[in-house]
Amino acid sequence: MDVSGTANTIGDVLDTLAVIGRPVQAGLLAVSVIVALMSIVPALRRWLGLAVGGLVLLLLAGEGVLAWFHWRLYEAAAVVSPETGQVTGHVTVPLWVESEKLYVWAFIVAVMALLMRRHREELLPGVALTAAALTAGAVLWGRPFTEPLPQFLGQYGGYLQAMATGLNQGSFAAYQGMEASRQFYYNTWYMWVHPPLLFVSYGAFAVSFVATLHMVRTRFSAFESTAYRWARLGYLPLTAGMLLGFPWAILAWSGESWWWSGKVNMSIMMWLLYTAYLHARLYLRRRGIWRWVAALAILSFVVLVLTYLATYIVPGAHSYA
Amino acid sequence: MNARMQETPLRRTWDFSLTVATVALFGSLGVQSFLGTLYSWWALRTLPGWEQAGYPGFVAVMNAVAAPQVVALVVVMGLCVPKRLFSRRALIGVSGGMLLLGVVAGVLTDSLAIGLAAYLALAAFIQIAVVALTVAGARGPSYLTEGRLTKTGSGLLHLGFVLFAIVVVALQRSSWMLPVFWTAAALTIGGTVLSFYAGRFAVRRLVPVESAEESLAD
Repeated sequence: MDVSGTANTIGDVLDTLAVIGRPVQAGLLAVSVIVALMSIVPALRRWLGLAVGGLVLLLLAGEGVLAWFHWRLYEAAAVVSPETGQVTGHVTVPLWVESEKLYVWAFIVAVMALLMRRHREELLPGVALTAAALTAGAVLWGRPFTEPLPQFLGQYGGYLQAMATGLNQGSFAAYQGMEASRQFYYNTWYMWVHPPLLFVSYGAFAVSFVATLHMVRTRFSAFESTAYRWARLGYLPLTAGMLLGFPWAILAWSGESWWWSGKVNMSIMMWLLYTAYLHARLYLRRRGIWRWVAALAILSFVVLVLTYLATYIVPGAHSYA
Repeated sequence: MNARMQETPLRRTWDFSLTVATVALFGSLGVQSFLGTLYSWWALRTLPGWEQAGYPGFVAVMNAVAAPQVVALVVVMGLCVPKRLFSRRALIGVSGGMLLLGVVAGVLTDSLAIGLAAYLALAAFIQIAVVALTVAGARGPSYLTEGRLTKTGSGLLHLGFVLFAIVVVALQRSSWMLPVFWTAAALTIGGTVLSFYAGRFAVRRLVPVESAEESLAD
């Protein structure tokens, strides 16, 4: 295996990504600030739709740059057995892991802000503000262009260093770890289905949350109906995504303590609360029930945010903490 | 369009009580999940070696706390499922009988999992009958929602959840796990789609879900 050649190629790709990505990041930050201002200041709202369109285009351009980066990474990041010298496969890093998770969520919310029609005028400021906040968070916290994929690059870098030492216990252990990550994490079908489904659901629930806040503020039932429409749109991919994770978890985390681990707990709690919300809503028109329904909807979204943050805060299976 | 939130008097019907119990149990399990997360976070940060020494005990406690809630949820689901086939009095008898059979199976085998699985299997059989009757347009099953496709969706997704519960409780190490799991996933997802969007699939447009809910309140 040409270790130094692979390391140099990845280094060059990272440099190019940073050169292209810095102006994209600056543009995203600037447009986020503009969208946030337009959302907050009523006099500027007439151009808000246009600004959201600009945000979506810039996020799309950034996603294109990241797709190029992932393709070059796929070409370079081969996994080679130290015993046989044979390539066992290339690592296919999905576009929604590690530093890119928040970016994808921001992109989906921005697209939903652009496409939503029902109560558009009333909801757009709140949804656009959410998209702007997520975009700013993705740029400032995630840093997908300047500090991309720290876990993957750390592991693959360690694997390359170990491979450079020849056939020994260290290189064999590094190979086993890298190959396990390739087979059961990066390249598995589950990673191409589960996260996108969840991010679509997160986006829909964000719009539902904004509509619920409007309903609580105005007491207009039409906002509740809009909140429900977005919540059921979110519940479907949430349920599908979580269900599809189950057989994968049994296989990939065999022998690990994953049941009742922090992130899994929070995900189950989020699904339970949204399920409770949909059940409670059956009696929405009964006296006092709408307040419980609204409280459940708001609590569910708060838990959704906590579930997302748990990945970075609470250690255990399914966590970067 | 922008009507203020309309409210009707709160009548505590059987269906309403079951819905409240279901919501309360979902909420209770949610609170347990949250507290479990807080505890494991605290323990991992402050107790050295907890992941190796303390985690199995934590899982055992969490299972012990969750078990009665899950049993209660299964019982409520069991009360929901056959309510579409039996009268109130018969329903109590059938549900009690199902519960008794589950307890007997659990005691005979000395396994809570087998007891639960036996109970869930009975619930699944009844739910299959409910779905068949609904698809056939029989008058027996009673639903909170309107429209045959919506009702079928509701029946299918509840059947999917019963099957998924059987997978979690009894089939994790069985060769039947994947076939039953994929059946459960397809039923749950397909049933949810039908339940939410039946109006869009119907050839002749049926009463939309929201209108139906409003008419329920009226």
